[in-house]
Amino acid sequence: MAEQIKVIVFALGNEEYGIDVDKVRTIERMMPITRVPKTYSFIKGVINLRGVVIPVIDLRGRFNLEESEYTDQTRIIIVAVGDMEVGFIVDAANDVVDLDRDNIDSPPEVVGGVKAKYLDGVAKVGEDRLLIMLNLAEVLNRGEVAHLEQLED
Amino acid sequence: MDMNQYLSMFIDESNDHLQSLNEKMLELEGSPEDISIVQVIFRSAHTLKGMAATMGFEDLAALTHQMENVLDLVRNDKLKMQNFIFDTLFKSLDALEAMVQDITQGGEGKADVSSIVTSLQAIVRGEVPNEDGASGNAGSNAPAASTEAAISKEQIQLDEFQHSILEQSLAAGHRVLYIEVSIREDCQLKAARAYMVFDLLERSGEVVKSHPTVQEIEQEKFDRSFSLYFITEKDPEELRTMILNLSEIEDAKLVSIDSDTLAQLAEKLEKEEEEAPAAPVVVEAPPTIEPVAEKAAADDKQPAAKKVVAAPSRTIRVDIERLDVLMNLFSELLIDRVRLEQLATEIKSQELTESVEHMGRVSSDLQNIVMKLRMVAIDTVFNRFPRMVRDLAKSLGKKLDLVITGAETELDRTVIDEIGDPLVHLLRNSVDHGIESIAERVAAGKPETGTVNLRAFHSGNHVFIEIQDDGKGIDRNKVLASALKKGVVTEDESRSMTDEQVYQLLFAPGFSTAEVISDISGRGVGLDVVKSKIATLGGHVAVTSTLGEGTLFSVQLPLTLSIISAMMIRLGSEKYAIPLSSIVETGIIRKEQVRNVHGSKLIPYRDAHIPLMSLSKFFDATDYSEEDEEETEIVVIRKGDRLAALAIDSFIGQNEIVIKNLGKYLPQVQGISGATILGDGQVALILDPNALIK
Repeated sequence: MAEQIKVIVFALGNEEYGIDVDKVRTIERMMPITRVPKTYSFIKGVINLRGVVIPVIDLRGRFNLEESEYTDQTRIIIVAVGDMEVGFIVDAANDVVDLDRDNIDSPPEVVGGVKAKYLDGVAKVGEDRLLIMLNLAEVLNRGEVAHLEQLED
Repeated sequence: MDMNQYLSMFIDESNDHLQSLNEKMLELEGSPEDISIVQVIFRSAHTLKGMAATMGFEDLAALTHQMENVLDLVRNDKLKMQNFIFDTLFKSLDALEAMVQDITQGGEGKADVSSIVTSLQAIVRGEVPNEDGASGNAGSNAPAASTEAAISKEQIQLDEFQHSILEQSLAAGHRVLYIEVSIREDCQLKAARAYMVFDLLERSGEVVKSHPTVQEIEQEKFDRSFSLYFITEKDPEELRTMILNLSEIEDAKLVSIDSDTLAQLAEKLEKEEEEAPAAPVVVEAPPTIEPVAEKAAADDKQPAAKKVVAAPSRTIRVDIERLDVLMNLFSELLIDRVRLEQLATEIKSQELTESVEHMGRVSSDLQNIVMKLRMVAIDTVFNRFPRMVRDLAKSLGKKLDLVITGAETELDRTVIDEIGDPLVHLLRNSVDHGIESIAERVAAGKPETGTVNLRAFHSGNHVFIEIQDDGKGIDRNKVLASALKKGVVTEDESRSMTDEQVYQLLFAPGFSTAEVISDISGRGVGLDVVKSKIATLGGHVAVTSTLGEGTLFSVQLPLTLSIISAMMIRLGSEKYAIPLSSIVETGIIRKEQVRNVHGSKLIPYRDAHIPLMSLSKFFDATDYSEEDEEETEIVVIRKGDRLAALAIDSFIGQNEIVIKNLGKYLPQVQGISGATILGDGQVALILDPNALIK
């Protein structure tokens, strides 16, 4: 019997992504963000989440996708990795699914413009739904970010 | 029994005892003849041993036991304190500290102490060859029919109630006797004989406590003798004859008890309770004590015991985390208060404004109290320095006194936790580089013994810690030469530098003037670490020095790190907070007052010109630029003695703000030291003026 996990599903562009529910603290509607100057462009700033100041990342920007206007559907998913808490701005978040770990396949090189290293794998849900599982540790890797920045310069 | 709940108490108390051991040992080193200090040390070690044994930390108990043996000889004048004994004892203290440290970190407190134990045993043996360690010592007093020995042998224990009865009877002028009766071996009806003794005694006084109990005696559950406390007005000798007149009584021992002995008994009782589980190790100790020494100790003990009893009622130990939670909750309250104040001004209701104002006053009182709760006397940092300086001076072959003043000065707990290491560095620096060797001092006409002053005091919203030595001072030219060689400054720069600027070079990374690299300091790392550490605490270091007369390091620290007064400003749609502590003044300048010099803007300020910085450019503000305005609000900020003006949009007002960090994910943001939550729930960033002035 393979291990069952619960996954929060969110949308970014035309793709659906998944994050292990254990890593997700809460999902918030869009709220005022205070810009933090002199930092990476995909860091949108900081928010006040019930008295705690939390940095917010636009996930589109992080994956070098084109950034879009925020809508009613836009959500901030607060994730916790280690002792870091970060908010991800995503196009929509509206589903929770159960997954068999066995159903997660290793990812192809690039999925929907996102490099394989940021991904844990691709999971098949039902007949025709593909879920891209995020590798949070890699997405939040700051060494990687510094490297990116150098390339841009 | 679950020991975990006692563990933290054990750790706290062990640290207290270790600290007092260290302090007293240093004191004793100053006056090795003072037996009263030895008594204090002995008691601390003894209590520590008892606690360790109770908690099951055998190595800890074993080592303290050996120390106790040495100290016991010293306090009984059988051993003179000498340098090598001090060294061994200090070494033992270090080992004990390491063990307690290990326990604190969840370890077993195990350590190989056999070498120290061996040298302690050697001291005991070597100095008093006739006595075979501690156990031989125990025998020496045994034949003496001293009160203490006789009583403690029988293990007769008084509870608090009985003790107070005895005390009151003594006070009322009655006699309190300790009576031990033995019945002849061939006696057939022991219980009956015992009953006769009791009967006899009851007629002339009152039996307070007997061992075994009366019931046990009636059931013949005793060997050949029994003992009891007795209150009477009769003469002991008379009583003794009366008891001996009963048939089949072999002997009766009567000991008068005075109030001193009684106090001692109570003391012993406490001790035994404390050490009960450690019985095999501990019990041998009390009987070895000579009556005279014990008496002296008892006199000392009484005030000491009182102090211990009084303390718990006045202070409690609180987990620091709870204080942090309290602080956080209070921060939330503060944010709501600001929000309410805003609402009140908007709504313009007289009653609302009044009650909000009242709430404001109450909450600022509350803030004071919460802040005070987090305050800890800097003594907790200073108290390890005397020992450190002693060891340092010894290893360097220097003579010096460390004079500490203002140890009671209080600082926020978070600052206290961080400031220890930087101060250690500065002190080491003073001892190593500041104070000259004895020969040099004599040649310079100074006293052989150097002095390092360590001072702490409050001034305004800051705490100052100063380290001043009467050593050789800083040689400006030497520092400059070294800085030039290392490329820290250029030749041009060096000519125009003030003394203070030259001294600050000491804090530059990779800088060291020591010609000989010692293992104490002078590796060129250190002072720069000190500076950055103190800077992260929101403080700074200043140096003044007179060549040949000494150096003064002055560390300035904020009282607290979590709530500060700040000026809120607006930059277009964005709000920022500037710490009030770094604002010199605010003002307005007209466009034509700004001058362009070599591409940088200067404005006249008092008699000088200071640079004008555009905050909107620095932070890439999107919806504001002062370029479009005829008049610009400015904030003059200060870093050390340098000033600069910041051009801003407009002022909002002064506020108490709660400092929050930006979250672990964000890298260090230039010019921003943190964030705060405003009354409307939005986040505002806090400027770091130190980063703005280059």
